[in-house]
Parts: sequence; structure tokens; C-alpha cells
Amino acid sequence: MDIHTLMFGWEYPPHHLGGLGVACQGLVQGLLGNGVQVTLVLPHPSNTAETADMHVITPTETLLKTVHVLSFLSPYDGHVQFRKRAANMPRELTEIYGADLPQAVLHFTAMSVEMTKDTNPDIVHCHDWMTYGAAAQAAAYHDVPLVAHIHATELDRTHFHPNEWIFAAERRGLLAADRIIAVSNYTKQILTTHYGIAPDKISVVHNGSATCTDTRPPVIASQAGEGRPPMILFLGRLTIQKGPMQFLDMAAKVHQLRPDVQFIMAGEGGMIGEIMRRACELRLENVVAFAGKVSNDEAERLYRQASCFVMPSLSEPFGLVALEAIAHGTPAIISKQSGVSEVVGHAFKVDFWDTEKMADCALTILRDAPLAQQLTSEAPRVLQHLTWINQASQVRSIYQDLIQ
Amino acid sequence: MSHPSPLICLYFQVHQPYRLRDLRITDIGKGEAHYFDDEKNRAIFRKVAEKCYLPANALILDLLKTYPQFSVSYCLSGVFLDQCEEYGTDVLDSFHALSATGKVEFVAETYYHSLSSLKSLEEFCTQVTMHTEKIEQLFGKRPTVLRNTELIYSNELAQVARLMGFKGILAEGADHILAGRSPNSPFVPPAFRLPRKAEALIRKHRPYPRAAKDIHVLLKNYRLSDDVAFRFSDRSWIGYPLLSETFTDWLTASGGHSVNLFMDYETFGEHQWRETGIFDFLRSLPNLWEQRGIRAATPSDVIQMWGKKQTETFDAHQFISWADMERDLSAWQENLIQRSALDSLFALESLVKEVADPALTALWRTLQTSDHFYYMCTKYFSDGDVHKYFNPYDSPYEAYRRFSHAICDLRTRLEAKHSPS
Repeated sequence: MDIHTLMFGWEYPPHHLGGLGVACQGLVQGLLGNGVQVTLVLPHPSNTAETADMHVITPTETLLKTVHVLSFLSPYDGHVQFRKRAANMPRELTEIYGADLPQAVLHFTAMSVEMTKDTNPDIVHCHDWMTYGAAAQAAAYHDVPLVAHIHATELDRTHFHPNEWIFAAERRGLLAADRIIAVSNYTKQILTTHYGIAPDKISVVHNGSATCTDTRPPVIASQAGEGRPPMILFLGRLTIQKGPMQFLDMAAKVHQLRPDVQFIMAGEGGMIGEIMRRACELRLENVVAFAGKVSNDEAERLYRQASCFVMPSLSEPFGLVALEAIAHGTPAIISKQSGVSEVVGHAFKVDFWDTEKMADCALTILRDAPLAQQLTSEAPRVLQHLTWINQASQVRSIYQDLIQ
Repeated sequence: MSHPSPLICLYFQVHQPYRLRDLRITDIGKGEAHYFDDEKNRAIFRKVAEKCYLPANALILDLLKTYPQFSVSYCLSGVFLDQCEEYGTDVLDSFHALSATGKVEFVAETYYHSLSSLKSLEEFCTQVTMHTEKIEQLFGKRPTVLRNTELIYSNELAQVARLMGFKGILAEGADHILAGRSPNSPFVPPAFRLPRKAEALIRKHRPYPRAAKDIHVLLKNYRLSDDVAFRFSDRSWIGYPLLSETFTDWLTASGGHSVNLFMDYETFGEHQWRETGIFDFLRSLPNLWEQRGIRAATPSDVIQMWGKKQTETFDAHQFISWADMERDLSAWQENLIQRSALDSLFALESLVKEVADPALTALWRTLQTSDHFYYMCTKYFSDGDVHKYFNPYDSPYEAYRRFSHAICDLRTRLEAKHSPS
């Protein structure tokens, strides 16, 4: 059976800020690999005329069409960030798209429904709250089932202090959907507990890993660091969700016993000033370095250089970054409040608030070479199973189930 | 005329490890660190006592008193007996009551239910001797049959047991060694001499004044044992629900000299809950056996009644055990952290013996308990099954972290005693 899915996305590489774009790309390619035809609708900040047309992006992806909708929406937007960006827009654009977030979303919704009237899909599939309105209207227009995919909830992003308007929009979308795909059991739990969604409406499909296993011989930085001091890595947006403050607390505890250890925090975000102040308060100014936003190549180098990778997220629906670290052979310490901890066996798993234990795990990895070696060599095996082709085939089954 | 029914040899393993507490690197070298999670160990002991040990012992006592042809055997690990003294004299009393019937055989093992047989002959012999003395002191009779931790067994180990003076040893009826033969007959290990040094070491550390002339190997009939231990309450199993009549038919059909049913005692009430009917099943067996002229026998009975019939060789060149499908050492010694943990522990052996501090020696030995290594097992992770192994800790890595801290601390304490300066 040929299936055509009309998919509403948020971001798509190379223009992406976080895991959502990577996951979206992985899923689209996995679906194409499973013979599913995909039309992808994306908000697009670029102001050029051609992006408003449907076109095939690469010759190999013959089943994929993308529709770019002119919009100033950006993933991970909140009201404040959006207003900041809108303030810098030319006046005529803000008049068209609206100066606040709800208006911009409404505009995106209306535009994208209008632009996909002729696509004739079998199913509509949307990713996270900004697209729910558009997708719900499109599904109603085409009279086909609606699948809502949850990569992150407002509760994850705000550490359970949601913006009520976004929370309500999310909940409306989730209730309207015929099936919800959560990226982890952890997220499913949040949806049932906090959004009141019936558990049997939610299917869990863990994210796949796009990263191939690093085939180069493993480097254990603490042993073969070429004279460099051991380094512990943080990589993620510097927002409350990702636990940068917990990382610093952990760093301070490691520093007490191992003053030779360096810490690198890669990523950018609104909390940078606060984080730097805290690092100074903890007297860590000489051992913590801020790398800013890093390219894929730079990230790869950091992973390979790190003695261990710490993901102290307060609430992480999945946490693709942990899979990336693992793919590069970096021993990982991951928050128990994460989806990725459900699929990764060869790692330390710690409650995000227990920074003392986090430090203890890091120190154990630094002390015990066989432990570091085993984490390096064994953890990447999970990636052989967790491919996007495998994960997308589960999504295809969900489609089939709904269409019948 | 049908064949006479085989003997039924019931053997139960009774063991509880001392689980480690959440040790931190900052505890190391303070000199006072306590390694074990007393609260958890007590809670688990009491839970299993209420669900299994006490009700199962009461039932077995009743059965032993009612049916003259019924008997059982146990192996109570030394660390289990220590926990009885700490957490449950009621449990110990109930074993005393069983022992008083004179129809219970207690089997020997390493006191610490340890992996010492893999690393140190001297340590292995010492711990077996400790255990036999403890059993004799508690129950007034010195064991004559040995069972190594989790049925870890090899040709060499059988010879070691013989030289120590044991007449019998228990092992897994591993298919690849049986090669089509029934596990229901006693076997003998291939005859060979150990190196002279090893023999001298055994002579120095054995519970009996002289070696046994022969040693017989009793093999676990794992199909019939596991029907009870693992499959009894499995609704997807074709044999469900297992009735005592059916099971007795299977025992009889299995034939041979004796059907050896070896299992964890926790099968009754803990692995298989009371609600599954496991106690009723156990209760109905001796009556049925008596009606059908089937008698139970303890391991030494089985060997004695075998007499001097021609006996086949059970040839275990490599270690076997009763763990998992593999029935080898991989549950405890498969991955790098498991091997490194055991190596690091035995790297301390000479230091432990030089320092000869009873408390530190006991700590070192308690860390040898096989469970510590089992909890570090990651064998099935590659199948995507992260939680297949029972584990009191969050993960194998948590098990390793605690264990590694304990070794580091023990090392610093030993070194401090060795050269106090």
C-alpha cells in the first residue's frame, strides 16, 4: 500500500537549532526508505519567492516534497524571544505576520493549510505544538487521520512552569489528534499525567540515530589525551531545560578532588550570563570554558576529546545529543529524567538534582580505565538497532493502522 | 513390568548476598566506611523470610513428619547464615527444626558464596572449610557433598573436592557434555592428578583428614527442575497449569537412578508467588509419590544407593554453571568491568593475608560473593533488553561504581595497616 503523508515540521537541517530538526530529518528519510511518500511543510524565515513553491530538494529524495511557508516562527520560540526578534523586523513584515507569537502562528496555520490544498494525502503528521493548528485544519480539510508527534512539551522546556497559552495550544492539538507518537515512555508519562491524554492513544517510538558509529579506534582522553588534561563535556542549549546549573554544581564537586580536570560547555542560549556568574561564584573560572554554538565538526572533536559527556537535563523527552556522544565513543552520564535513558544501557543514569552522584560517576570514569573502555566500546552497539529505518517502520505501521 | 521409579533428589539453594550501599568516592580512605546497605539487606531478608523461608520451611517440616519416604537437602550459604543471625533467628530456628527430623542433608559450599574457585585454590579451600565447620557447628553434622557457587564446576574442581574429602559434588546437567546421555545417573569426573603444589595446598586447607577415594557428580535435570523453578506460573507455557500428577508422570518417565531437582529455594513463594499455587503443588507431591512407590533421597543417599555400578564419565574441560542459556561463567565474568572487578579484588589477596586483620579479611571475602559480579552483567543489552537481569541497583554500572569504591577503600585500609606510618 502506498502511503502519502503530509507532514508539518518546524525545522530541518541545515537550518536547525536543536534535536527536533535532526529527528525530523531522520524520520523523513526513514519514512522515504520505508516507501512512504512525504510532503513536508516548513516555516521558513527567508523572504524569497521561490521558497513558497513546492519543489524537490535533492534528486535522491524523489518521494519527498517540501513546502516552505513564509514565517518568522522559529523552533523553541517563546513569547519573549519572538518579541525580541519581531522588534528587529522591518515594519512591513511585522504588519503582515504579526508582532506577537499567537498571531504569527495563526498566520502560519492559515497559509500552510491554503498551500497544501492540492496535496491529497492519506494522513497528516505534525511535529510539536506550533504546527498542531495547521495540521488539525489540514486533516479536517482532507478528511484523513491526524498524527501528532511529541518531541518536547512546554513542561519540558520550562521545567514545569508553562506558558499557559502554549500549554493550552498543545493540549488542544493533542486532543484533536487520532494518534500521538511520543519519543519516549518518559514523555508518554508526562502526556498522561499532566495533559490528561488517554494512554492507549499514545504510541512510543524512540528516536533513531542518524550518526553512524565512529569507526576510528577509540581514544580514551584520560589515558591518551596527548598531554591534555582530562575534559568533561556539556553540549546543549544553555536553557533551564538542559541543566547547565547542575553541570556547574557537578563540575565544582569534581574540581575539589581532581583540580586537573577541565570542563567545556558548548551551546548558546539565554542563560549564558547567569551561568558565567555562577561559574565564577564556584571559583571555576579557570577550569570551565564556553565554546558557544559549535558546528558538527567541532562537536565531533569535542566528543572525541572528552573523558566523559554529561547530560544533566531537568526534563528531556529524548536527548539525541547523548546518542551522538555515545556514537563517538564518549562515556556518558545521563539524566534519569530523559527518554534516551530508556534505550541506552551502557551509561550512568543519575537524577538531575543529584549532582553529587553525577560527580561521583564522572570521577569513577576518570579513575577506572576498564570502566571507561567498556563504556566506549559497548555503548555504541545500541545504535545498530536504533536506526531511523527501524524507527520509521514503526511509524509506518501506525499510519497503516489508522488508515484501515 | 515397568521399570522401577527413579529416586527424587530435591536440593534447594538458600542464599542472600550483602548488597552494597551507595558508596561515594569521598568515603574512601576515611577508615570508617561501611560498605553494606544494612537497611535494604534487612528489608529483603525479612520480605523473603515472610514470603518463602518461613512458610516453605513450615510446609517441608510437615511433609517430612508425615511422609517417611520424603527427604530434602539444602545448601545454606555462610552469608545467608550470618544474615539469619543478624535479621532472623526465627528463620534459623525453622532450619534447626528441619534438621532435627534427621531427614535433611546440608550440602557444603564456599562460606561467602564466592567466585574464589576461579581465582585462588587456597582461598576456595579455606572458605569451603569455614562453611563445613559452620554447618557442623549449627546442625551437628559435617557435609559430605559439595556444591560450588551457582553450580560452577569443572573436572579440576571435582578433583579438588575429592582431595578435600568430599564424596559427591553437584553440577549442571549441561547438554553439550552429556551429549545425549541422561542426567539421571551419577557420573564420575575423569581421573587425573593435580600438580603436587596444588595437592599440598589442598591438604593444608581441607575439612577432612584425607581425600575421598571416589567422587560422584550428581547432575541437575534442568528441564524438570526449570519446569517448577521458572515455568510453573508461565501462562504461555504449554505445560501450564502444572499439576502434581502430570509432573510426577514426567518424573517417572524420565527414568534412570535419580531425578535431581536443583533450584533456588526462593522458587517457593518469592519467584513463584503463593497465589500461583506453588505451595499446594509442593504439598501434594510426597503424598502422590508415596501412593506410586516413589521415594525421595538426599544427594549422599543417591550416591550410596548407586553402589559400585559401572559409572560414566562427565568430562567438563571448561567451567560450566547453572546460569542462563549459556551455562558458563558469562553471567559473572563476561564484560570488562566484571573481570576487572574480580582481578582487582584478588590482587589484594597477598596483602589481605599479610595484614591478617580478621575484620578486613571478612570484608574482602564478602566482596567475593558472586552476586556482586552478576549485578554488573550486561550480556543481553545488545538485544535491546536493558532490564533482563535482576538487579537491586539501577544498573550494572551502578553496581560496578559501588563495588569499585569498596575495593579502593579496602586497599587503602589494608595499606595503612601494612605499613602504619
